[in-house]
Amino acid sequence: MALSNGAYQSLEDIVGTEYISAESVILDSYAWMRANELRTKDRSGFFIRPEAVVLPGSTEEVQAVMKACNRFKVKCKAFSTGWISLAQPSGAGVINMDLRRLNRILEIDEKNMFAVIEPYVIGSQLQAEVMKLGLNCHIIGAGGSCSPLAAATSFIGNGADGIFMGYSSETLLALEWVMPNGDILRTGSLGAGLGWSCGEGPGPSLRGIARGTTGASGALGVFTKCAVKLAPWPGPAEMPVEGTIPAYYTKLPNNFREYTVTMPSWKAYTDAYYKIYDAEIGYIGHRQFSKLGEDLSTAFFALYRDSSKSLDDLEEFTRKPEIQDLTDELRHYSFQLILAGMTPRDIEYQEKVLDQILAATRGHRVAAMSEPTTAQFVLLYLLKLHCKHLNHVYAGGKSQYFRPDGSPDYAIEYAPFMIELLKKYQEKGTLVKTGGDSLMGTLSGIGGGGDFHFEQFVSYNRNDMESINAARELAEEARKLATERMPGSPAALVGLPPDVMLTAIAASSQSIRYHWQWKIKQMLDPNEVGESAGYPMLKEPPKE
Amino acid sequence: MALNDYRSTMQGCTRCSYCKFITLAHIKSWRFSNGCPSIAYKGFHTYAAGGRLSAALSLLEGKSSYTEKFKEIVYQCQLCGLCEITCKLCRYDMDVLDTLREIRFKMVEDGQVPLQHTSLINNLRKKNNMVMKTGVVPRKWAQGLNVKDLSKEQGSVVFHASCEARFDKGRKKVARTAVTLLRDAGVDIGIMGQGEGCCGGKAYEVGYKAEFNQCAQNNIQAWTKAGVKTVVTSCSNCYFAFKRLYPKEANANFEVVHTVEFVDRLIKEGRIRFNKNVPITVTYHDPCHLGRLGEPYVPWNGTVTKVFGQITKHVPPKPRYIGAWGIYEPPRNVLKSIPGLKLVEMERIKENAWCCGAGGGVKEAYPKFSSWTAAERIEEAKSTGAAALVSACLQCERNFTETIKDNGQKMKVYDIVELVQQAL
Repeated sequence: MALSNGAYQSLEDIVGTEYISAESVILDSYAWMRANELRTKDRSGFFIRPEAVVLPGSTEEVQAVMKACNRFKVKCKAFSTGWISLAQPSGAGVINMDLRRLNRILEIDEKNMFAVIEPYVIGSQLQAEVMKLGLNCHIIGAGGSCSPLAAATSFIGNGADGIFMGYSSETLLALEWVMPNGDILRTGSLGAGLGWSCGEGPGPSLRGIARGTTGASGALGVFTKCAVKLAPWPGPAEMPVEGTIPAYYTKLPNNFREYTVTMPSWKAYTDAYYKIYDAEIGYIGHRQFSKLGEDLSTAFFALYRDSSKSLDDLEEFTRKPEIQDLTDELRHYSFQLILAGMTPRDIEYQEKVLDQILAATRGHRVAAMSEPTTAQFVLLYLLKLHCKHLNHVYAGGKSQYFRPDGSPDYAIEYAPFMIELLKKYQEKGTLVKTGGDSLMGTLSGIGGGGDFHFEQFVSYNRNDMESINAARELAEEARKLATERMPGSPAALVGLPPDVMLTAIAASSQSIRYHWQWKIKQMLDPNEVGESAGYPMLKEPPKE
Repeated sequence: MALNDYRSTMQGCTRCSYCKFITLAHIKSWRFSNGCPSIAYKGFHTYAAGGRLSAALSLLEGKSSYTEKFKEIVYQCQLCGLCEITCKLCRYDMDVLDTLREIRFKMVEDGQVPLQHTSLINNLRKKNNMVMKTGVVPRKWAQGLNVKDLSKEQGSVVFHASCEARFDKGRKKVARTAVTLLRDAGVDIGIMGQGEGCCGGKAYEVGYKAEFNQCAQNNIQAWTKAGVKTVVTSCSNCYFAFKRLYPKEANANFEVVHTVEFVDRLIKEGRIRFNKNVPITVTYHDPCHLGRLGEPYVPWNGTVTKVFGQITKHVPPKPRYIGAWGIYEPPRNVLKSIPGLKLVEMERIKENAWCCGAGGGVKEAYPKFSSWTAAERIEEAKSTGAAALVSACLQCERNFTETIKDNGQKMKVYDIVELVQQAL
């Protein structure tokens, strides 16, 4: 055990024997993660083992663990649902703090429309509870199995419903923060003893430092409670779910409309996005199904909705004329839009606005996608994001090698060359041949005039070394292209090994920001207890 | 198969955590959203299916070795199959449950088993049952029923009572009621009498494949000799063994019917008619082995190729077990047909049912965990306002009954056939 006996004993005294382990079998289960094979030298899914895993059961225990880590100079990587490599230590000498036991919904304030949650509450749990009160919560793009607190406090937090409910950065209110030194800081109204409703005062307004744009991923301590904004839900208290696994669907009242719209060009596509944003219509806006590839996604989702079918039937589905027609109709310039009317007049209004936008952009609603059984499937899928693990459906391996954030014009500009790049690699036969366009993305958050998010997926086989290597090579080439053409874009840098990332950002136009992050870190965490992977920092000011 | 043959499943896990919860679309509340009893009880990720897959891979790659903790991680799991279903919601290339079973086969081979299971298997070897009861004479469960003894006569339909019914006083009545119902409805049903052996299902689940095979061979030979075509049972564990494991492991070819399916059929045919009201509100617990694991085995022989670069394709298409075609409606049909009875559903039902806690050798090796799991289900049952918890599995029924008694609670527990009998 690399952790000293004293350190282990101290941690055990805090959480109890039951909730700490340094057994190799347990540590290895924490060292395993999706896409690790793209960063390990031996292409293994096992990355670096934590020295121990602790599961604190209260804020006080989290606080005591952080103090012990300072005392023994041990780094700590805290995580909640943890479906990302940033939940893992990036080097030796780090313990993992698994926040699974902090899993309560502490309060739902119906009148003021917020909920107070702990780190291991998942989106699907919170959504089910708030829907009973006519409310809804933002579910991040990774889906309902993920922690809203983690997204709100520590990571990016985009999602399909961002256009109506806001991205996670926009939903964060007051929070309880165990600082790296073990002190507890309560922000916003909570810091002034005035409850959870405001993140920006009258107590300390530190949202920018706590999470910034992309979150600190545990580098600045542990967020043990937070309040998140809720949004109106004009649907039933319990969303009805019908169908045979996996082909679940929902039937919602007539104030909900599901559309897939398609445009004649990328230009028209972005124009439509801006117009939808400006008109303030839409409950969900997402380019979702294209993630499985322009050539295969239509066929896949057709077979997915038949419980008796499997990937063994995929080829056959791609040959069906109606699937081929729909594949062509959806190719490149389509996205999903769910309208939810708060009143009959509201839904009527939104429909008319959408008509006008489509007329102005020469787009149209795709009739086949609004056929009732398809629409019912899409409604459930996008409102609950309950099967986002489909990202990995083809062969287990999936990575996003390109993910710009910004205005639609900015992001779309780079789409064509990323599509061509993926095509080039797919032609080699070592990746899944989905077609070059596997771009998935959200339409917008609430603020910023259309904060668009795109992710280009690559599907590879986790059990095939050549396939893993191809995905890795693709990522490296994409990175070079991104740093050349999109200097400073933080999203284009996510997931890089720290040394590569630091080199890239040092040369970027926004490098000052990473120096600023180093200063924050120095101030809040002088002993560097909060493990810093995912929180890029420059230790020197940028050169002129 | 060997553990190494499941390497692709182990390596395929992305740590999505779907194995920890019921299918996300079906979550109706925070309280009843957990799917895997093991991680809900223990907390560490290692106790979820994803963690167990990593543990197995770590063992295979020599990163970990057998320890008491390793043993506990593997065996503190009911093999209820929830993780199999939720994983396959989005994946076509994972065989989670078979991998978890294969770890146990390997551990038995390597002599790494909980002590309690050793006793259990010794009991099976010596006394041909898995309930470790002494002093009960097996033949007595059927005394006075006046049905054929197929160890001496020929008959096409055999009722398999199960170890639970043969050796446990409390469960005996369920078997007797089931046989009486079928007999009175005109079914020419027989029993194996003294010749009935254990199905072997539990031996398989705790990793003793050879002992399972022996049980299977004994039963298959006895049934074949008696001319049996159809096997009926009230025990869902036995049902699973006969329906899924016997064809897969022993090439058996019998029609396998659970009592609830048979009774449902007889009600629809008018051969069972109700005369009395049973004014009670009940909730139904889907046994894992009858519900999501109750799909029939379909043999597959074919080839594997790759399409679209890296997607695995089986030719012909390989059968897939996703809990879609389990026995969900027959028990509900029977309950709904009983006059005066009101069925109210729990939140976690059908493919998402929470396990009773008894399976996978957990009741024998980790009784506290088993009772905790049952208590969780009883809480869910109580939340519906039901006066009784109804099931179609003798093992579930026993675990619920014992947990309710131990916790000083009052909820009633019935097997479906007991309610059917009350309505006659």
